[in-house]
Order: sequence, then structure tokens, then C-alpha cells
Amino acid sequence: MVKRVFEKPLSLMERVLFLDFMKGLSITIRQAFKRTITTHYPYEKLKPPKRFRGFFGHKVINGKEPQPAFTEWVERFKIAVEPGKSRCVVCLLCKRACPVPQLFEIEGEKLPDGKRRVSIFNMNMMLCTFCGFCVDACPVDCLFQSDIHETASYSRKDAVLDLSTLEKIGKDWQNRREDEPDRIWADDNARMRLWYENSPKLG
Amino acid sequence: MIAVILIKVLIIVALVLGLGAFLTLVERKFAGHVQRRPGPMVVGWHGLLQPLADGLKLITKEDLFPSMGNRILYNLAIILALVPAALVFAVIPFGPEFSIGSISVKPILTDVNVGLLLVFAFGSMAVFAIALAGWASNSKYALIGSMRKAGIVISYEVVITFAVMGPIILAGTLSTYEIVQNQIQQKLWYIWVQPIAFIVYLFAMLAETGRVPFDIQEAEAELVTGFTVEYGGMKFGLFPLVEWYVEVLSLSAIAVVLFLGGWSPINIPFIGFVDPLFFLGPFSGFVWFILKLSALFLLTLWIHWTLPRYRIDQITQIAWSVMLPLTLVNLVLTAIIAPLIWR
Ligand code: SF4
Ligand code: SF4
Repeated sequence: MVKRVFEKPLSLMERVLFLDFMKGLSITIRQAFKRTITTHYPYEKLKPPKRFRGFFGHKVINGKEPQPAFTEWVERFKIAVEPGKSRCVVCLLCKRACPVPQLFEIEGEKLPDGKRRVSIFNMNMMLCTFCGFCVDACPVDCLFQSDIHETASYSRKDAVLDLSTLEKIGKDWQNRREDEPDRIWADDNARMRLWYENSPKLG
Repeated sequence: MIAVILIKVLIIVALVLGLGAFLTLVERKFAGHVQRRPGPMVVGWHGLLQPLADGLKLITKEDLFPSMGNRILYNLAIILALVPAALVFAVIPFGPEFSIGSISVKPILTDVNVGLLLVFAFGSMAVFAIALAGWASNSKYALIGSMRKAGIVISYEVVITFAVMGPIILAGTLSTYEIVQNQIQQKLWYIWVQPIAFIVYLFAMLAETGRVPFDIQEAEAELVTGFTVEYGGMKFGLFPLVEWYVEVLSLSAIAVVLFLGGWSPINIPFIGFVDPLFFLGPFSGFVWFILKLSALFLLTLWIHWTLPRYRIDQITQIAWSVMLPLTLVNLVLTAIIAPLIWR
């Protein structure tokens, strides 16, 4: 049995005195005198949470790779390990996971000593949906998404991230935010101001 | 004499257009704060110079014209929108008569004895501008917008005429200046005896100026601002300027004249006037007029940024089945009772 619920029809008093109008008007005028909750964007910027899905980067080799996965993959593919360079082992799992695989352009090269390393890694951000599948697929925690979100550029070419850009973003990230606790909201006064009204009561 | 008139014309034109531009800022600030944003903040102190920046941007923009449009009507529409709206200010009395030296000046451009008739004649001409704009741009959104406007004209124009007849009967004249004089003599703002007419007038004013809840000719959610959609640059800027600011100002001024006693201070019905601004001396009249005008303008903004939009059939229904009978009853009662009291 479905109980049907209708909006209560307006009573005569409400119709004659525009009471429902008054209700709306009183709400807007009360809001108008409260503090504003916006940030003045170009002058004032919010820090995105650590899990933010922004532009991509390659974490570089710095001794904090996930073990034993990293060593296994390095041994399997005979990858040249050079600190300060990309962790990528050219497994192409990211390209496989991606719903738009053609945006990846990944190539490896063979060094004279028989070892291998990544030589080309282009990601065309014009096609990316920022779904994060590629990041989940990466077995060595190389590819990741940073908090860079102001990504406007003057040409389409600028939207293609190449290997050196990715490494640069990765190094920058590892310096800035790698050690932060992985929380959804950063402890950030600017953000607190945005949400000061709905401080959640837990429990 | 001609010099005085020229000075008046200059003051009114400068005031109307300058104020219209400045009111865009007022509106954006108000809208912002209603939605908990600060509005324009960058150009000047708290965005005070934003209208200048906007004007500069609009003037330097490219002037586009739809290839299949009608260029003459397209440009005529702009003139037809601006001129009648500005002309209404010719019959609005801004304050009491005063004298500089030996010349006595009435702060009204022409005190014609059919002032109110002129106001509503000009008001109806503004509709042609919108209809022409939609027709000349040869675009479906513009045409739908202007057809909607033409559709609701028949509802609010009738209603507004009947609404203002109450105060006219009470004052016994059509001259705007004398209507105010009569209110002062009778020691009565007509809003105290004509509250229904006042509400109906507000309703028609919102409909005429295309303000929410009756902004169906713009309807930015569905019609992408309706009849202005094919206009660009300053030509686009003029339409909202005229409709949303100049017309709201002129119709609010008429409402102040008709219902709120023009430049007279606060009224206690049938007893007299209380003037908390007496220390301003001869300026107090002007200040009262401006205060009432801005109160009405802010009320319009407040309603605009609160309510959702009515459908066209709902507007017509309200106008014909609620507002019109109300004003008719009001009119008949006024016509019966008014002569008993004042004559
Ligand atoms: S975020 Fe999604 S769409 Fe973008 S590269 Fe990764 S897998 Fe492809
Ligand atoms: S999944 Fe990771 S390691 Fe494999 S190719 Fe992509 S970025 Fe390189």
C-alpha cells in the first residue's frame, strides 16, 4: 500500500497575504547579511586534498618504492634503476586500464649494457577523463595524480605531458605532499572557512 | 526659460543613464550577498568601478549581426527601447517647487496635465522594442522570447491601467505633480486606502520590466536571455540596462508618486506628516523621494533574487482571474466612496 503524500494546498490566508512569498523573502534577506563563504580565487587558493585527481606525474626512484613489487618488476624486465629518474617499468598496464588508451604513448629503449628504461611517455590530457584507473593499475606506484588543477594552456600541444614534465611534477609532489597523512580533507584554514557552518558532529 | 529646461534635460539624462549603469553594480552586489558571495570585488574598492569596466568591455566588443536578420528593425529596436524608457522621466516630479533667486523651478521636466497617460503610453511602446528585437534577429530563441513578451502584454497592461485608476480618482487629476500635491493636501498617502492597487501595480511593474517572477521573455535557463540573444557588445548591454534598471526606476518613481506621496515625508493618515529629516531644510523633499525610490528598487531586486519563474499561462491566469477582478472591485469602491469624503 503506497501512502500518497501531497503538498498541502495554500490556505486562504496564505494566498491573500502572500505568506509563502514572505517565507522565501525572509530566507534570502537573512542570508544576505551573513558572511560570504567564497574564496577570492586568483588571490586566494584552496589546497586540494591529497587524493585530488589532477594532472599526472611520475614518482621518481628515491628508495621508497613499494617492495617487493618494484624489485620483482625490475628484475623481470631488466630495468635500469637510476635514482632521481622515473620509476616506470614500461609494463603498459596503465594504458591497458585506460578507457581512452590512445592518449598514452609509451616506449622503452635498450641501453648498451642490455638494461632497459622508459624513453617516451606522453599523456594527452585533452582526452583524459581523470578517472584514475591508470593510477590504480600501476604496479610500482609510479604514475599518480597530483593536486595540480589550474591546467589552462595556450595550445593543445601544451596539454600533452611528456616524460620530463611528469618527472618534474613527481619530484615536486614527493617534496611537498608525499608524507602527508592520506586524508580526504586537508587541514586547511581556507577550507575550514568554507565549511564552518556544517562542522559535523560524529557519534 | 529654455536654459532651465535644457539644464533639466541634461541632468535627467545624465542621472538616468549614469544611475542605470551604477545600478548594475548594486544588483550584482545584492545578488551576490543573497547567494553568500561578495559580488564584484576587484575593480575599485569593493568593485565600485565595475560598471566602467563593464562598459569598456561592451563597447570594445565585436558588433555581430545575424546574416538573415533585418538590419533596420534590428537597430530600431534599440532606439525604441531606450527612448521611451528615458522619456518617462520627463513627467516625474523629483521634489517640491523651489526658487533660485527670482526664478522658481519645478523639479519636473514638463508638468503636462496628462502626465500619467504619457507614462503608460511610453510604457507600452517599450514592448514594441522587444517584439521588433526578436523579429529582426531572425532566431528562434529571440522570437520565442519576444512572442512571450507580446503574450503577457495583454495581461499586465490592462491590469496596470485599472490599478492606477484608484489613485487618479482620489487625486482627481492626471498630472503627476498635482497628484503629489493633492496627497499632501489631503494628508494621505494613497497606499493607505489603495493597498490592493499598490500590490497589483507592483505585480504589473515586475511583469512590464521583465523581472522575476515574470521574466519569461528572458528566461535565461531555457531561452538563453530570449530576445537579446542575437545582440552583441553595447547593443546587448542596452537592453538589460533599459529593461531592468531604467524602466524599474521609472515605474518605481511612478509608484512613489501615485501611492507613496512623492516627496512628502512619513505620513500618518488624515493627521499630517512627520519629517525626521527636517534638518535638511529644502533638500528633505528630494531625499525622501530618493529614499522611497531606492526602497522600491531594492524590493524589486529582493523579489528578483528570491522567487522562481512563473509560466506564461500562469501569469495570464493570475492577471485575468485574480488581479483584474480585484482592481475592478477596488476601482468601483473607490469611485463610490471617494466623492463622499472629499467632495
Ligand atoms: S585517468 Fe583514466 S582516462 Fe585518464 S589516463 Fe588514467 S585511465 Fe586514462
Ligand atoms: S603502469 Fe606504471 S610502470 Fe607500467 S608503464 Fe604505466 S606508468 Fe609505467
